[in-house]
Amino acid sequence: MTTHTLRSKRRRSALRTVAFLSPWLIGFGLFFAYPLISTVYFSFTRYDGFRPPVFNGLDNWTYVFSDYPMFWPALRNTLWLVLVMVTLRVIFGLGIGLLITKIKTGTGIFRTLFYLPYLAPPVAATLAFVFLLNPGTGPVNTMLEWVGLSPPTWFTDPDWSKPALTLLALWGVGDLMVIFMAALLDVPKEQYEAAELDGASAWQRFRFVTLPNISPIVLFAVVTGVIATMQYYTQPLVAAKVASGNMGGSGQLFEPGYPEKSTLTLPQIVYNAGFQRFDYGTAAVVALVLFALAMVFTALLMRRRGGLIQVGD
Amino acid sequence: MSIRTRKTAAALAATAAISLFASACTGSTETEANDDPNAETTLTLWHGWSAPSEVKAMKENVERFEAAHKNIKVKIVGNMTDDKINQALRAGGSSAPDVVSSFSTTSVGKFCSTGAFVDLNPFLKKSDIDPAKVFHKPLLDYTQFEGNQCSLPLLSDAYGLYYNKDAFKEAGITEPPKTWSEFDKVAKKLTKTKGDSYEQLGFMPNYHGYETTISHYAPQWSPTYFDADGKSNIAKDPAFRDMISYQKKLVDKLGGFPKLKKYRNTFGDEWGAKHPFHTGQVAMQMDGEWRLGMAKDAGVKFEIGTAPLPVPDDQIADYGKGYLSGTIMGIASTSKKQNAAWELVKYMTTDTDAVVAFSNGIRNVPSTIEALKSPDLKHDPSFQTFIDIAQHPKSNSSPANVDGGAYHLTLQDVGLRYESGKLTDLQSGLEKAAQQIDTDIAKLK
Amino acid sequence: MAQVLDREPAVKKATADTPAARTARRKALLHWIAVHSLGIAAALFFVLPFVFVVLTSLMSNQQTLTRDLIPTTWEWSNYSKVLDTPGFLTWWRNTLLYAGVGTVLTVVSSIPVAYALAKFRFRGQRLSMMLVISMMMLPPQVIIVPMYLFWAKQLDLAGTLWPLIIPMAFGDAFAIFLLRQFLLTIPNEYIDAAKVDGCGELRTLLKVVLPMAKPGIAAVALFQFFYAWNDYFGPQIYASENPAAWTLSYGLESFKGAHHTDWNLTMAATVMVMAPVILVFFFAQKAFVEGVTLTGVKG
Repeated sequence: MTTHTLRSKRRRSALRTVAFLSPWLIGFGLFFAYPLISTVYFSFTRYDGFRPPVFNGLDNWTYVFSDYPMFWPALRNTLWLVLVMVTLRVIFGLGIGLLITKIKTGTGIFRTLFYLPYLAPPVAATLAFVFLLNPGTGPVNTMLEWVGLSPPTWFTDPDWSKPALTLLALWGVGDLMVIFMAALLDVPKEQYEAAELDGASAWQRFRFVTLPNISPIVLFAVVTGVIATMQYYTQPLVAAKVASGNMGGSGQLFEPGYPEKSTLTLPQIVYNAGFQRFDYGTAAVVALVLFALAMVFTALLMRRRGGLIQVGD
Repeated sequence: MSIRTRKTAAALAATAAISLFASACTGSTETEANDDPNAETTLTLWHGWSAPSEVKAMKENVERFEAAHKNIKVKIVGNMTDDKINQALRAGGSSAPDVVSSFSTTSVGKFCSTGAFVDLNPFLKKSDIDPAKVFHKPLLDYTQFEGNQCSLPLLSDAYGLYYNKDAFKEAGITEPPKTWSEFDKVAKKLTKTKGDSYEQLGFMPNYHGYETTISHYAPQWSPTYFDADGKSNIAKDPAFRDMISYQKKLVDKLGGFPKLKKYRNTFGDEWGAKHPFHTGQVAMQMDGEWRLGMAKDAGVKFEIGTAPLPVPDDQIADYGKGYLSGTIMGIASTSKKQNAAWELVKYMTTDTDAVVAFSNGIRNVPSTIEALKSPDLKHDPSFQTFIDIAQHPKSNSSPANVDGGAYHLTLQDVGLRYESGKLTDLQSGLEKAAQQIDTDIAKLK
Repeated sequence: MAQVLDREPAVKKATADTPAARTARRKALLHWIAVHSLGIAAALFFVLPFVFVVLTSLMSNQQTLTRDLIPTTWEWSNYSKVLDTPGFLTWWRNTLLYAGVGTVLTVVSSIPVAYALAKFRFRGQRLSMMLVISMMMLPPQVIIVPMYLFWAKQLDLAGTLWPLIIPMAFGDAFAIFLLRQFLLTIPNEYIDAAKVDGCGELRTLLKVVLPMAKPGIAAVALFQFFYAWNDYFGPQIYASENPAAWTLSYGLESFKGAHHTDWNLTMAATVMVMAPVILVFFFAQKAFVEGVTLTGVKG
């Protein structure tokens, strides 16, 4: 084979690769690279959508970090959600996954029932939960009162709104259940049998056989859970709107993050700054903070060693 | 293949560059009112009403206009909130409206300052209308910003006190309270507790008790929101401190925040038949004029009394005033049919017969001086209270600002924390809030 | 019960009526009862919300404001009332358009990309894969300001769903990732064999790989369909200003706004938004569960 044909072959193969990748290459440029660069540009301007953008240096950045009244509450809420909601979801998902592997009768029905809520469209599921948990006449509080408890007011109480959202998230734990179920079934049987021969208790078998085997999946669930929390938008927004009784039609102002900013998240303040206050500069800064956070955790997923998603060869 | 790919890459780069440039220099706000108002045309009108009876009243109003202006057809789109309006006006384009009506006066500052709505002064001049002779001053205040009259009032809302006459009789109260010190005694007297809750509450003072927000309480103390330099005045004007501490005292007197909040959660929806005033859960309610019609529709059994809200003891001379607000109407600066649009706005906001008929249909207070005096108004006698409040010289409104009313939320936040006891030093809370308001507004200027 | 015991070989072996066997059997039975009680408790947690939603959707308006859990009169007309709501059918049509067209575009545009990432060897492959994952993890709000300005101001497409549909013709990161994971599981021998037979890359992809990748494609299509069906943020940004372009998820929220107190109607509408998703799931359960598992599998 002459060097010429080799080179042309290589070039053909490069062209072929580019051809196959082309839809995504365009998509990457138009819907990722360009808007990201543009967002960086907007973060240094004052722009309201009407008057042309004006360069204003670091104004937006200092405003967001030192003066924007919604930024820190949103970040604190995100931290709460990561610590409580993500953790509980992983534990609960693992528990349900374990349970389903132990259930011998009607497994298919149980699995379907456990999985269904995950499919409920978020707006519909949130509406349903605001209704179920409504303090006056909601079925949950009605039942809690039957058993003599004095129930909280859930979505209208700043201390209980995030726990109420957590309940909603636990209800939709089906995705984690399926992932854990698959992982649990992959644990080699021999290891359990060996442990049993050694006289290990159920807890010890879980601790020393199950957990080490599924730990990469647990980590995967945690990290993707954190990333999903960064994107948490529809549920808290719809819950706040419905619970406040203010859907924006009555002329009263909607308090973002109702009650008392307790359900604010970063994506919501991007919307609030950009599409309610029409301060695109501030929105761009929050967007970039959100980007940085999401990418830190994405990088965790893709680490070359111990990474959870194998990226290359 | 190779050429095509390279071309794609080049096209991609070019598109990206163009859009970056283009998005950096859009946003023209120049008005181009050179369309012929007599030409055949179709206008798009957006409004916020969603209840069937209100939608119907709006439709009838438009039909009257179309009958008077045969060349103009109007396409009506209802249930439009300010967020959607703001966004659509920025996008412009084919689906954007020509004429917009919004419930909330809080966005007026934004509509005017950004040029989303055109200044109506030239149109008023062209049509020989002196707005000061057509509208009362507070209504002109909330429809303009720094001299830019970018909207006009389309009916107005006046806030007053509703009371349950039967409950009053039972408690031996003969007259609605005129001062706040009378008010808390009356509220206390009307309150009947039951266990750790209430059988009947005199008044729900909490800021989340529907219309009982700071911006609706405050006018009774004659507040000044901004000083001459446009800086927030809430920490300097004692009106705010007095009002917020009065409300807190009321909360404590009537059972304390946690108990009231728990009771509040048993209330039906503000816009539904099970409103706590309708059901007798509360005996008095601060509300706008529309409550009267809603209560009647809900079929309440007791006799309803209406009165102006009380005033502080030392300002008894001002009794009779109240908070004014209302729906506003403006012309989108992106509209290509501004002269035709003006015909519609002019008709709906200034034509006495139109305003009277619409007021009768939607049961809001008429917004022009002539319409307020009109004998054709078909309203219940208790409605007169609100017409009087609307004409009271000391009635006031909260000023428009560039932040679209975010300053109300910042102030309300102080109130919420103070009523619940989370904030104890009110003055420092107000000072911080004032600072926040100034920073937020400076950010948007 | 017999079926259960069948699955426990230890128990089955000990059919002899020894005390030890009896204890073992009792232990197994207790274990079965414990596990299934837990299972039923969990099932109640997952199912009761649906039950209450459906029950409420059949109540009269007056009754939703009481503490009753079960309807006293069964108001089936609530559903026809929802259907008669102006716009409800339009929302349906728009959602189907967004989800249907979007899904087809996504699948068609993502397959070649996923194939290249899974089976080709090229410089920048690792980087491309990292970028795909980064795009997948990117919260849509991050780039919304320039994207909105681009669609609304440059292309005058605000008030339509096109800004949500068109990008799907350029590959969706999640679909690419999922398909690539699936294609990795297809042994290279099949591809090599096709090449030996003289197939070009495109033909290999179409004739050999695609038929084998059907389950993966089905999973991707389902995910994409559900994504579009459930999307709230996209329609909120691009379609909110034009009710004729609203989707079910967005319309449902505004439905609540317009029917402040009518929880019965709101819940009926909620049921009607949830039901199609659940129906689709029943028909395509296997593909779906496989897809979820795939997201967690190491490549």
